[in-house]
Parts: sequence; C-alpha cells; structure tokens
Amino acid sequence: MLKKIDLKNKIALVTGAGKGLGKACAIALAEAGAKVIILSRTKSDLDKVSKIIKKTRGSSKPFVCDVTRYEEFRKILQKINRLDILVNNAGNNIPEHFTKVKQENMEYLTNLNMKAAFNVAQLCSKKMVKAKNRKKIGGSIIHMSSQLGKVGCGGRNVYNMNKFGIEGLARGMAVELAEYNIRVNTVCPTFVETPMVKKFFKNKKFKNQMLKNIPLGRVAKESDVATAVAFLAADSSEMITGTSLVVDGGWTAQ
Amino acid sequence: MGIFLKDINLKGKTALITGATKGLGRGAAEAIAEAGGNVIAIGRNQSELNSLGKKIKKLKVNYTSFNCDVNNYNKIKSFITKLKKLDILVNNAGTNIPENFLNVKKISLDTILNVNTKAVFNIAQLCANQIIKLKKKQGSIINISSIFGLVAGQKRTVYSMTKFGVEGLTKGMALDLAKYNIRVNSVCPNIVLTPRTKKYFDNKIYNKYVKDSTPIKKVVTISDVATSITFLASEASSMITGTSIVIDGGWTAK
Repeated sequence: MLKKIDLKNKIALVTGAGKGLGKACAIALAEAGAKVIILSRTKSDLDKVSKIIKKTRGSSKPFVCDVTRYEEFRKILQKINRLDILVNNAGNNIPEHFTKVKQENMEYLTNLNMKAAFNVAQLCSKKMVKAKNRKKIGGSIIHMSSQLGKVGCGGRNVYNMNKFGIEGLARGMAVELAEYNIRVNTVCPTFVETPMVKKFFKNKKFKNQMLKNIPLGRVAKESDVATAVAFLAADSSEMITGTSLVVDGGWTAQ
Repeated sequence: MGIFLKDINLKGKTALITGATKGLGRGAAEAIAEAGGNVIAIGRNQSELNSLGKKIKKLKVNYTSFNCDVNNYNKIKSFITKLKKLDILVNNAGTNIPENFLNVKKISLDTILNVNTKAVFNIAQLCANQIIKLKKKQGSIINISSIFGLVAGQKRTVYSMTKFGVEGLTKGMALDLAKYNIRVNSVCPNIVLTPRTKKYFDNKIYNKYVKDSTPIKKVVTISDVATSITFLASEASSMITGTSIVIDGGWTAK
C-alpha cells in the first residue's frame, strides 16, 4: 500500500548542486538510489558534493556549468544518454525595495530564475521524452520555487515575479508533458538555513521578523526540502502533477 | 535516515483513522501500519473492522478498533478522551450525494454537512486536545479533502462547500496548533476508484469525464493517496503545515 521513496535505476540532474538546497537535493536523491548528474559553476563545490555522495555509496557525475549559458548547458546534455528526473534548482535573490531595484539586478535575477529555468526545463524535457519507455516508467521535473511563489513579501519583488512565474510554468508544463507521463511540480520552501539565507539572517531584526511569520517558529532544514523533492521525484507521488508541495511551516496558511 | 533524505517512518506512533473500514481510510490504515505505526480504526461495520485488524496485526503493530458513527459526538468523545496514546489523526470519514444544485434535498444537505463538516471538526478538536493532553512533542493531523476542495464539479455543490470548508479548517487549525508542534494538512485527491465511487466509474459518460479531465490519463489509486497521507503523518514532512498535497494527475493545474 505504501509506495517507498525509491529512485533505483533513475538518472537525475540537479542544477545549482554545489551549495545549499541543490547540494542537499543531489545527496538526498543519491541516498534514495538515483544516479545524480550535478551541475554548478564552481568545481571545488562539485568535488565536495561528489565526495559526500561517494561516501554514502551513491553515484554522481559532475559538470561545471553556468546554466544561464544556453549552449554550455545544451552541450552537457548531449553527453548524457538518458534522464528521468530534473531538479531545476539554480537560482538567486537580491532583496531591494521595489522603487530601488537596479536594472542590472532585475536582468540578472530574471535571466537566472526564469529564462535559464525555462531553457533548462525545455532542454531536459526534450531529452526525457526521447526515451522509448518513458510513458511506462514516467519522469519527474521539480522546480525549486518558494513560499514567495505564493505570496508577496517586502523587498522581494523581482524574486516574487520570478517564482510566481515558475509556478505558472510548472502548471503549463504539467499539462503538456502529461501525455509522456512526465510529472511537473514545484517545491515552495520557507526560509531555509542555506548559505544564501544565512547572509540575509545576519540582519537579526530581519531574522526575527521572518521567524514570527513562520507559525511553527523555526526555519526549514535543508533535509526538509530535499526530502520533499525526493518524494516528488519518486513513484511515491505517481499521480501528483501540476501542483506545489509547500514546505513553509505555515507561512502561506495565514 | 540519510544525511538529507528522511524516512517515512512511524515506529512507536499511534494513528487514529476514521472511516477506516473502506476505501481511502482502509488504505491509510494499511500504509500507516506498513510504516510501523499503530492503528486505531473507527468504523461502523464490525466484521470489516475485524478483517482490517487481521491484516494490520500481521504487520506486527498494535491494532484497536471502535465501532462508532462519527456523528455520535458523545460516544466518540468518551473514546478519544480515554486514549493513552495518540500522535496522528487521519480525519477521513466523509460522504457524498451527487445532486444538481436546484434539486439538492434538505436531507442530503444535512447528511453531507453533518459528516464532512461537523464530525470532521469535532473529531479534529477532540484529537488535538488529546494529543496536547498527552504532552506529545509533535503531532500530525491529516484532513481528507478533495480536488473539489479547490475547484467545482458538476452535481458537487454541497460536497464542494464542505471540502472548501475543510481546506479553510486545515489552515486555521495549522495556525492555532503550531505552538504545540501539531501540523495540520489536507490531501486533495482526484476521484479515486474506491468501493464507494465504483458505481460512478461504471457509468461510461462519467468514466470518460474523469479521464478527459485528468491530463495524466490515469485514475488515482488508494495507494497513491495512502502514501501521501503517510508522508504527511511522518516527520519526513516536519516543516509542512497548513497546506494540501494535491493528488490529481493535473486536474486542477488546467
């Protein structure tokens, strides 16, 4: 009756896998039995992740790649035979008040959080549909969204715009890729203690204010999000598509 | 438990399940037992409660059953308030009488409201109070909702009214119970093939309607829903509260 989170014989690709959530997802997928292709701009980060995966007797293949470079990513995909799971994770945030958002920051964030996310998803989907037995074995794409893909938050306009966009993309993709039995979902975490968030939390006033917004009174752990991603990647969630798994301690319930 | 992947493990936990003798409730009871959880089954059919018990006990977990109509507040109250162990509630008992809005009978309205709304509220309140009284460090309540808690369907006005209500109740409870670390979520399945819905699926037009409305072109199984329930029951989802897992093959993504 209970479908376990089991990714044996699956090949997964994780972008932004060098640090934070991407790293956690890559390791969690490997722990569930998947072979993991890890991408990051920083080779030393990839080496560290590979080492951890090796220690847990998992298997990984690293590629140095900036996902905003279309051709660079496309060429890497050509080296891969098959793909069953994509964790479309690479992203960033630069908090600024709406009236003060700098043009170059808006460009940079939108190119990474939306344009690259779209391109990566499209190229990977093309690869995934090619497998002859795809309809039988299924596939799963998980976009790393955010609670800010569901509700607004001060100083986060561009990030809000990008992540609401990803929510729309996920639903559109889910409808179109259903015929190949490829499921598409998002994970919407609250603040997680990642290197990115630690930077914001140096501001204690901001940290306390954010914690007040999380009914459970704690930030998420990387393992909370990585487990949700693994659940969506596996056949445990075989009939879940075009939706979000919100991992926010109640933030958006208010 | 890996570094980043949390197990769906309910060893040592006790779950109360309403409507446990048939369909989703029975599936949830079995899945929870497979994850190591003890089962308290509430149902109205003694022979079915006994046959479920036989199955559950084979999994080497404790099984208690109580023959009771969820509408019988005093009877169920005296049972729940005496429980020595309780960590999880699967608030499942529900009903539906499909009728066109203009022709909904008074008796149907009362029946559906009593089971899907009032009994759901009362049992959630009784169980939450008991979990708090037992001084549990964590708890999880899963309300069984539906895609009709998110969108409308034909001849489903009363059902939708009650399930939208369950969605609201879930979010409200999540906020009030967060300080006790009791998480509250719902699952929103598409129309699942169960003994109760079999008569609908036997109708060709209805069967086509469900298939055409589900992009992934498969019917949700009891096991799909039971797996999500068990995930929400376990600490694998320890930061998930006040939200829904939508198990609908893309129905509501369109």
